[in-house]
Amino acid sequence: MISLTIALRSVWKNRRRSLATLLSIAVGFTAINLFSGYIQDTYTGLRRTAIHYEGLGHVTLAKPGFFERGGVNPAKYIISRDELQRLRRLIEAQPEVQLTTPLLGVSGLVSNGKISTIFIADGEEPESSARLRALPGEDRIWQQDSLDPRRSSSGLVSTGLAALLGVEAGGSATLLSTTLEGQTNALDLDVLGTWDTGNSATNDKLLRLPLDYVQRLLDTEGASRLVVLLHPEASADAFRARLAPLLKEAGIEAEMRTWEELSVFYRQVKNLFDLIFLFLFTIVFIVVLMGIVNTLTMSVMERVREIGTLRAIGMRRTGILRLFALEGGVLGLLGCAAGVAFTFAIGSIINGSGLAYTPPSSSSPVPLTVAIRPVQMLVLMGLLSFVSMLAACIPARRAAQLEIVDALGHV
Amino acid sequence: MSLIQLLRVTKEYRLGRTTVHALRGIDLSFERGEFAALWGPSGSGKSSLLNLVGLVDVPTSGRVILDGRDTAGLDDGERAGLRNRQIGIVFQSFNLISVLTALENVMLPLTLAGTSSATARHAALLRLGQVGLEGQAHQRPDQLSGGQRQRVAIARALVTDPLVVIADEPTANLDAATGHQIIELMRSLNRSQSVTFVFSTHDPRLLDAVDRLIRISDGRIVDAKEAAA
Repeated sequence: MISLTIALRSVWKNRRRSLATLLSIAVGFTAINLFSGYIQDTYTGLRRTAIHYEGLGHVTLAKPGFFERGGVNPAKYIISRDELQRLRRLIEAQPEVQLTTPLLGVSGLVSNGKISTIFIADGEEPESSARLRALPGEDRIWQQDSLDPRRSSSGLVSTGLAALLGVEAGGSATLLSTTLEGQTNALDLDVLGTWDTGNSATNDKLLRLPLDYVQRLLDTEGASRLVVLLHPEASADAFRARLAPLLKEAGIEAEMRTWEELSVFYRQVKNLFDLIFLFLFTIVFIVVLMGIVNTLTMSVMERVREIGTLRAIGMRRTGILRLFALEGGVLGLLGCAAGVAFTFAIGSIINGSGLAYTPPSSSSPVPLTVAIRPVQMLVLMGLLSFVSMLAACIPARRAAQLEIVDALGHV
Repeated sequence: MSLIQLLRVTKEYRLGRTTVHALRGIDLSFERGEFAALWGPSGSGKSSLLNLVGLVDVPTSGRVILDGRDTAGLDDGERAGLRNRQIGIVFQSFNLISVLTALENVMLPLTLAGTSSATARHAALLRLGQVGLEGQAHQRPDQLSGGQRQRVAIARALVTDPLVVIADEPTANLDAATGHQIIELMRSLNRSQSVTFVFSTHDPRLLDAVDRLIRISDGRIVDAKEAAA
């Protein structure tokens, strides 16, 4: 207790120097929190994009080998109608499952009669697909249309592709592909509407088509994947682990991938942001470490006689270490407390400003927001305070090792 | 048995390439309740001797025996414990902790010993009263005069009821009148509570107050006799 009293009052006594250290800790703490809040918000947005907008759901099932080689030999990995029905019955009986929806991938040429270009599409079951794509809560990033279950020959065209072909809602185009048997096949498509994929790499290629339309185009009754949407609180990994033995028991051979494994874009962005965060955190860590070491080294040099006196009246070396470690901890804690105030203030200003930006590979602006997460701030506060205490041990060790006679004679 | 015994004690310091012989084979003992002064010119070895008695330094050779216990071989923690409980130290420059009040400074040795706050506070207030500073208990050292600071230091040295209080030139930084008052205070505490005091000085005016005067020169005791106090 007396060590804490001395530590607190010493920080106050040297308040000008302490303030400089506090500010450097506070700025570092704020930078970490704001950047972390920004990337967490981005991860949340990307997660929702992947699960709902890209239609990856939480878990996707396919025949073993499909995810590696399904593109070159789709016929081999088709899930038949009967298998699909069994699979859906089994999965939809699980408590964490909201819905399942089958997909059938297709690619080929799309033409307006004058211009032809490539397209990529997934045949979707309009009702279940629409429910999969319905976002929990308001979505500020995109607006979407749904396929019309009553119009089995109509589909949605991505805005880039629509512009390329010069088609719009109410127009038509022709899709050319090969059946699973290798025969060329073509079908007319009514353009139901257009939508922005949100990704410039796909916005000039993607179509959304009804499942039975694609089945007719490929001459099959099956699907290539089954997408599972879980309740929001459920874990995709846990569900996969639980489902695997049930599938084996039912004699169904299937391979499963979570949305995170399938969304290359999410992983790329996350890896990049995680690296930047690590870089930023390392810089802040070093700044805090050096700030504390510098401040307390000066403090030790100024207080050599005090250290000698404390040792002479019976304080042990560990007591001296504890005294300066506490002083470092106090500086760290106060710096972080100021950082909490800065984070709330600056975070609120950013979130209320309505700022928007267009991220790389995005085709439309997204709002710039930062997530303010008190629990993470508390953890960071504890971590930085602990680091400050550890940093203080460097000069404190020197102080504790001083010979009493030398310290008392120090001028 | 003597309270403190120094047997063939030497102390050497390295000063660059030179070895300084601060103490050269000292044999000396102090009895309980003594009021003794080490007297000699600057550099004679007074402070070195007090440092050994106060266990803030270790001899190069020889033995220091405190209350029958040989202090050779004690580790740093054990020496700190002995300094805390059995030795009171009064410094020439007072050496109060600047961020603590007079009361907290006096409580400090007891707090370090793990005494409860209430008990330490009670004992500290008692000692502050004995040195005439009950009214300044909550003042910081920079709000006190030199004489008052030294009184606080004496109260701090006494608060653990130590076997001995050592004081290295306790009046050197005080004017003559205040210095005399401090010596008088120590003398009265010695008489009324049988506290053993060993202090160093080179102020001849203070020598009349002591029971025993030990003259040191060049690291040797040249004269140790009962004074006519």
